[in-house]
Amino acid sequence: MSAQAAQALRHADNDVGVHVENISKSYGAGESRTTVLDKVSLTIRKGEFVSVIGPSGCGKSTLLKVVAGLSGADSGRVMINGKTVREAAKDKAIGLVPQAPALLPWRTILDNVSLPITVNPGANRGRNLRDPKELLRSFGLGHAIERYPAQLSGGMQQRAAIARAFVFDPEILLMDEPFSALDEMNRDQQRMGLLDFWQSNRKSVLFVTHSVPEAIILSDRIVLMAAHPGRIAEIIDVDLPRPRNEALYATDAFRDLEGHVRTSLRKVMMEAARV
Amino acid sequence: MSDTAAAKTESKARSGQGIVLMEALWNWGLPTITFVVVAALWQFVAVSNPYVLPTWGAIGQSLLNDPGMYWANLLVTCQEIAIGAGAGILFGFLLAVAMAELPSIEKAVMPLIVVVMVTPVVAIAPALVVAFGFGMTPKYIVTGLVVFFPMLVNSLAGLRDVDQKALDVMKTLHASRWEIFRDLRFPGCMPFVFAGLRIAMPLAVVGAAVAEFVAAGQQAGLGSLVTIAAAQANLPVTWASIALLCLLGVLLVSILALIRKRVLWWSDQDVIGR
Repeated sequence: MSAQAAQALRHADNDVGVHVENISKSYGAGESRTTVLDKVSLTIRKGEFVSVIGPSGCGKSTLLKVVAGLSGADSGRVMINGKTVREAAKDKAIGLVPQAPALLPWRTILDNVSLPITVNPGANRGRNLRDPKELLRSFGLGHAIERYPAQLSGGMQQRAAIARAFVFDPEILLMDEPFSALDEMNRDQQRMGLLDFWQSNRKSVLFVTHSVPEAIILSDRIVLMAAHPGRIAEIIDVDLPRPRNEALYATDAFRDLEGHVRTSLRKVMMEAARV
Repeated sequence: MSDTAAAKTESKARSGQGIVLMEALWNWGLPTITFVVVAALWQFVAVSNPYVLPTWGAIGQSLLNDPGMYWANLLVTCQEIAIGAGAGILFGFLLAVAMAELPSIEKAVMPLIVVVMVTPVVAIAPALVVAFGFGMTPKYIVTGLVVFFPMLVNSLAGLRDVDQKALDVMKTLHASRWEIFRDLRFPGCMPFVFAGLRIAMPLAVVGAAVAEFVAAGQQAGLGSLVTIAAAQANLPVTWASIALLCLLGVLLVSILALIRKRVLWWSDQDVIGR
């Protein structure tokens, strides 16, 4: 099924969303040469939430870096809305949420979230910029507008980092394990916050995670990657109704899917162990 | 019942005051004791050996007898520090920016700078006097030279110590080099710049004094005053000048700490000292 789906997606509309075509990337030379990404192809449709999950070393973060234009590939190409990554960055089409909030400690939360509007202002023309204050309020940070990052909890800082990625209305959002530094309860709260916000502001999202429930509750599709070499092992459709909320965790459909993803993950890791 | 509650809060407040008092003793009392003991030992030696150390009274008397002379010399030394160290700090920072932005500049210039910096300033100073005469120029150069290196090295380390994840965010926004400098590198390097200044300030006083030693005579300055008075075995003037140099250093470091507190309130990264 996944092969057919991938085939169908490759023929999808070429102008919207993200097209990753045959990306390969290796590090090192000679015997220590390792292939981090081996002919990875993936399409994210407009307004689609795609999670990438897999064991460490499967290249999921490298894939995100390549799509973000922060790292080059040896071969293959990435197109964002029909443009190269460089052109897309010039147009401020990419919103990045890194692993750590990476807020500037000398700026207030409001000034941190406003940063993408003030940077590269040439790309603001014809853009549906959001009001940073309003956005922060809808992220539940209305009380923290004039505060500094150090005065906020880790969860609130990460929420501000997500608001920073949404504020300039980019076509595609790239999130690199944004909740991995938080404790489990906090993580679930932030996850639900993102789910709520995204469901009313659908953007294409590439979301790297190592949490199975997180991938299921948020995504339309889950891309399962295998390591050595880093490649796509399986693409799993998440046919759960939207809008979703916490109640979904307790449903049979969710548990079935979770079982499926975990089994596939185990298979991928067993294979890696055999090699 | 409200009485006992009141008594409780009162006793709490009192024990709170006790802690504050203990802290004050710890922070101020102990160093004060050290200073008093050393000063007493000094006085003890000075009273029986007037040709080794002047008494505190003699130093104070000398300062009071001719405050105008000390003031004039202090101003000269301050001018050397303001202009010489000011230029050295600025140039050190600007070169660090150039090196951070263009690695080829660092490759080309850094070896020369290291060679110059391992040459003792005390050795360079007489040569500069020969070249530039007994005026202010060699003093500016020596003072600038001693602060230049710590400023350069610290600023460069700071400019390179950017938050990599924040830099990634800037790059995906296609931020220009100037925007990355303005919003990220420049404010981010300030803790390192202030650490550099913390090293540079006392060094500036050293540089000014050393330059004046070498070129004593023509132009005034507290360093010149020290050499001239010492040559005449005038211990009260010698030590009064030394004390003023010391006070100048303390003052500069204290002003710097005040500025740091206002500018770098967001940084918990106290690279060295306060």
